[in-house]
Amino acid sequence: MTQPLVDVVGLETHFPVRKGLLRRAVGAVRAVDGVSFSIGRGRTLGLVGESGCGKTTVGRSILRLVEPTRGTVRFDGRDVLATGGAELRGLRRQMQVVFQDPYGSLNPRMKVRAILEEGLVIHRLGNAGERLERMTRALARTGLTAAALDRYPHEFSGGQRQRIAIARAIVIEPDFLVLDEPISALDVSIQAQVVNLLVELREQLGLTYLFISHDLSIVEYVSDDVAVMYLGRIVEQAPAARLYAEPLHPYTLALFSAVPSVEPGRRRRRIVLTGDVPSPARPPAGCRFHPRCPLAEQVCRQTEPPATVIDGHAVHCHVAARELDLAGGVAAVAAARMAALMTAAAVPAPPPTA
Amino acid sequence: MTVPLLEINNLVTTFHTPAGRVPAVDGVSLSIERGKTLGLVGESGCGKSVTAMSILGLVAAPGVIEAGEILLRDASGGVLNLVTLPEPQLREVRGGRIGMIFQEPMTSLNPVFTIGDQIAEAVLLHRDVSRAEARSRALEMLELVRMADPKRRLDEYPHQLSGGMRQRVVIAMALACEPDLIIADEPTTALDVTIQAQILDLLADLRHRLGTAILLITHDLGVVAETCDDVAVMYAGRIVEQAPADELFAQPRHPYTIGLLAARPERSGPALAGAAAGSRGAGRLRTIPGMVPAPQHFPAGCRFHPRCAFARLPECSAAMPALRELEPEHLVRCSYADALGAPRRMEGAEEIA
Repeated sequence: MTQPLVDVVGLETHFPVRKGLLRRAVGAVRAVDGVSFSIGRGRTLGLVGESGCGKTTVGRSILRLVEPTRGTVRFDGRDVLATGGAELRGLRRQMQVVFQDPYGSLNPRMKVRAILEEGLVIHRLGNAGERLERMTRALARTGLTAAALDRYPHEFSGGQRQRIAIARAIVIEPDFLVLDEPISALDVSIQAQVVNLLVELREQLGLTYLFISHDLSIVEYVSDDVAVMYLGRIVEQAPAARLYAEPLHPYTLALFSAVPSVEPGRRRRRIVLTGDVPSPARPPAGCRFHPRCPLAEQVCRQTEPPATVIDGHAVHCHVAARELDLAGGVAAVAAARMAALMTAAAVPAPPPTA
Repeated sequence: MTVPLLEINNLVTTFHTPAGRVPAVDGVSLSIERGKTLGLVGESGCGKSVTAMSILGLVAAPGVIEAGEILLRDASGGVLNLVTLPEPQLREVRGGRIGMIFQEPMTSLNPVFTIGDQIAEAVLLHRDVSRAEARSRALEMLELVRMADPKRRLDEYPHQLSGGMRQRVVIAMALACEPDLIIADEPTTALDVTIQAQILDLLADLRHRLGTAILLITHDLGVVAETCDDVAVMYAGRIVEQAPADELFAQPRHPYTIGLLAARPERSGPALAGAAAGSRGAGRLRTIPGMVPAPQHFPAGCRFHPRCAFARLPECSAAMPALRELEPEHLVRCSYADALGAPRRMEGAEEIA
C-alpha cells in the first residue's frame, strides 16, 4: 500500500476549563480524545457525528487552526505538529479549508479579488498577471466569472458565496481540503449544486477530502470511507458502502435510524436513544456510549472497547466484538444487532394515519 | 369533509421596505382539521414563517396583512377572524387556543426565570387558577413531555438544560393551556438527529393522546414525511403543491417538488446512471438550477419557470398558473402538470400503493 496523504495517529485536542481569579485550569474538555485515521491520495474520508462529538475539532487540529494536545499528524510523510514557521506555511499551501457558513467565512469589507488574492500573496505565488489568471481559473472552476472579482460578498447568494469560499481554497492549488459542513447552511435546492461541484473538482484536480458533516446521505454519496464519531472518539469506521449496508456499532445504527426519510419503506424501523450526549469534560468510564446504549453490559461500564477490525471494517464495541468472534460474519452480526436493538429500544412505528 | 379548525383564505402579507413592496406571502390558502398535522415546506424566504406569524398576529412593522382572512373555529361552531381580531382578544388566542414552538428554544425561554415559573406563567395568563395550581400544572406538563426528573427541573434555569430538554420545556409551555392548534416553526432544526427523533416522537405521541392539530413548518422533507398527514409546498410566497403526505411523496406533481425530492442522494438514484452502485460520487446529483428569487424580484408568470426543467409552454412565463385540483385532494400550481403525462411515480411507490 502506498503512503497515505494524511495520517493521523492518537490525536488528542483538549481545551482547558479555567476558573477563578487566576484562571487556573481546573479540568479539560476532551473534544478529541484519541482519534486515528488515514486518507489515501485522491480519496475522501467522511466524518460524521452529532454536535459536540469533536468532528470539527479534528479538522481544525489537522490544519493546526487549533493546537492538538497529543498525537501525530503526518501530511505527505511530514510531521505537521512538529513543524513551524516557513515549513508550516509551506504545508498549509497544500491544505485548505471550507467552512460551513459562507456569510461568516468571507470578510464583508473585502472584494472577492482581495479574498482570493490573499492566499496567493501569502504564499508568494506568481506575479500580478499570473495571479489574475489563477483567480479567474479558480472562479471558472466553481462556476463563476471574472466579473465576480470586483464585487463584495454581500452581493452574492449563499450558494454563490460558498462557491467563492471554494475558489479561495483551490486558488493556491492545494492537495487536500477539509470541508467542514460545506452545505449545511445552504437551501436544499442549492445543496446538490455545491455537492456536484465538490465532486467535479475532486475529479479534475485530484483532490483529497476530509468531508465533515452531519448529513449522513450526503456523506455516503461523497465518501470512500466513513468514520463515525461519538464524544471525542471514532466508534466505527469502514468503506462507505459497507458501513451503510452493515453498521455494527449501536450508536451508528441509532444514528442511521434516526434520520427522517421520505422513503415510505424506510420509515418503519427507528431506534430512539434516551438521554443526551454527556459532556466531553466528564466522559463516562468504559465505553463512552454505554449510558445511552440499549445493549450495554457490565464490561461496557468498566473497560474501554478496543478496535475490532474485520476486512477494513473497524468497530469499538465489546458486544459486537464478541458476536463477531462467535458468528464470524459481519453481515450476520449486523442483522442480529439490528434485531436486538429493535427489541431493546424500539418505538413502534406511528400508526398509519387515516 | 369536516369543517376545518383553521382556515386561511387568500392571505397576503406584505413588507413595505425602503427598497419597495415585498410580497412575502402572496395569496396563500390553507386549512387544518382538528387533530391533524399539516406540514408547510419550503426554502428560506418562501414565506412559510411569515404565514405562521400572520396567523399569530405577530407580523412586525413594516409588514402588514393586506388581504385575506384567517378563521379559527371552536368546537361549538364559533368563528374568529384572526386578521381583524383586536389585540386583547388575540392575546388570549396566542398561548391559549394556539400554542407556539420556535426553532431556537433559548430565544423562547427567559434565562432569568425558572422552568417552573415560566410554564406556570403561561397557565396563569390564560386560566383563572392559583399560583399553587399553576405550579402543579407545570409539573404535570413536564411529566407529559417525558422530562427526566421533572420535580427537580421545575426549579432549574434554562441554561442548566440541554437543547433537547429546553425544546421539551417549550413544548410543555405550548401545551399548558390545552390549545387546539400548535404552530411549530422548525422545531427540531437546531437539534441533533438523535434528539430530533426524540422530539418528533414526542410530538406524534402528544398529538395522538391530546388530539392537538399541528402546523409544522420546516425545510426538511424527511421530517414532514414522518410526521404529517398533509403537506403544502411553498415557493416564492405561494403554495405550489398540496396533497396528503403519502400521495405527495409517492407522486409529486409540481416540478419544484419533484426537483427537491430528486436532489437528495437517496432519490437521485436514476440520475446516477452508468455508475457502479456504491462507488463514491458516482454520477451527479440532480439539481434545480439557479437560486431562489428574492421577493423584490419575483419573475412574471409562474415564479418557478426560470428554474424549471419543464417550462416550455408560453403560458409559463406569461401568467401565474392557478392552483388546480389534479386529483382529489391533490392541488398543483403548474400549467404543465397535465402535460407531464401520467403520474410520475417515484421508485418504491409501487410497494405501498
